[in-house]
Amino acid sequence: MEPLLYISNLEKHIMDDFHLGPINLHLEPGTITALIGNNGSGKSTLLKTIMNLVKPDHGNIKIDNKFVHGENESWKPLVAYQPQTIIGWNAFTGEILKRLIAPLYPNWDERLFQKMIELFDVPLHKKFSKLSQGVQQKLNLALTVPRNAPLLILDEPTSFMDIPSKKLLIDLLVDWMEPGNRSILIASHQIDDIKKLSDYLFVLHNGKMLGHFEKEELTSTYARFWLNDSLSDTSIPGEVSREDRMIISDNPAETEAFLEAMSIKWSNRSSLELDDIITILLNNKKKMGGIQHGSHVNSGRP
Amino acid sequence: MELPIKISKDSREPIYHQIVNQFKALIAGGQLPTGTPLPSIRALSKDLEISIITTRRAYQDLEVQGFIKTLQGKGTFVAELADDLKQEVKVSSVHKIMENAINTAINYDYNLEQIKDIFLEILHTYPKGKGDN
Repeated sequence: MEPLLYISNLEKHIMDDFHLGPINLHLEPGTITALIGNNGSGKSTLLKTIMNLVKPDHGNIKIDNKFVHGENESWKPLVAYQPQTIIGWNAFTGEILKRLIAPLYPNWDERLFQKMIELFDVPLHKKFSKLSQGVQQKLNLALTVPRNAPLLILDEPTSFMDIPSKKLLIDLLVDWMEPGNRSILIASHQIDDIKKLSDYLFVLHNGKMLGHFEKEELTSTYARFWLNDSLSDTSIPGEVSREDRMIISDNPAETEAFLEAMSIKWSNRSSLELDDIITILLNNKKKMGGIQHGSHVNSGRP
Repeated sequence: MELPIKISKDSREPIYHQIVNQFKALIAGGQLPTGTPLPSIRALSKDLEISIITTRRAYQDLEVQGFIKTLQGKGTFVAELADDLKQEVKVSSVHKIMENAINTAINYDYNLEQIKDIFLEILHTYPKGKGDN
């Protein structure tokens, strides 16, 4: 299938101290990818680059096979983007913002907009600046998702929202994906977004791409072993961390073969939760494996 | 609709396989009768907290094996099962559970004779009336 979003060898240098990339990423229609990274890893910069708000130094971005950084802007109606912070909306009410935005999108879904306003209980007559941060995010979502563009890009859309609203949004996005030809790229620190929504995880660390992982493949790459006895300093293949008799491995098959060969007994082997895996990925950048593009990048350099 | 499907991420059985087997048991056991609409791939992926890649693979397997059918634009439904297929699933699920139990006992160093005794003991204490047919 033709990717909806295609990023190749993207690089961007910002000031003296931040370098994003090289980034390679393909998003297929029908999939949801969570963009994950430490604070300051370049997630928002990457999303802005996709939206042509930041010019890259190298590399290409195509949306539905149309170059983003060119004269032709025919890709624009194909993306709906919700930035983390919005400039210029403060003086307007939700009602006015809707009247300004809706006509720009040929597939605007008025029913979905009304449904979201009702579900999230957003007052449309109040000025944007008078709304709490959580309600601003809700209104922002209601002004973004109903654009019904094939590619939906959300930059930490729920960071200020209450728990029930976050759950409502997950259900709403699940429904929104039903047509099967849409994609979502969502930068998020919310573990529920990652667990319940995402098919793929795209992980950034200090501007470097650590990998693009299919969720279950990533989960199956890690296991925790509880050994019957504590070990001396023997280093075990696959070992990424050890606490007394508990060992975490990023190559369970190799670890198990080694334990068997050395007749080291273990009482339990279990899988890791995604948040533990993300923590390991972001803390131990030395070992890594992306599954999709194969081009992993060394990291750990400042 | 939330289905009574539970996946274990610690199991060595691949997740898509666990889903396939549990659907088969629900369908052959009659809990999901012919024609029951099933959740979309995206909705089931959300409920089970897995990717659509895994769910799609499970649905494809179930469809190939004749347990479910997808009607374009309408969704996915439980298919009409031939009686011999139902029977086959019943036999194999019961066999599998017994095999698991025996494996567990062997891991605890019981021998076959002892396992047989345990089995008979449990059968003996089983409430009368249940399973008399």
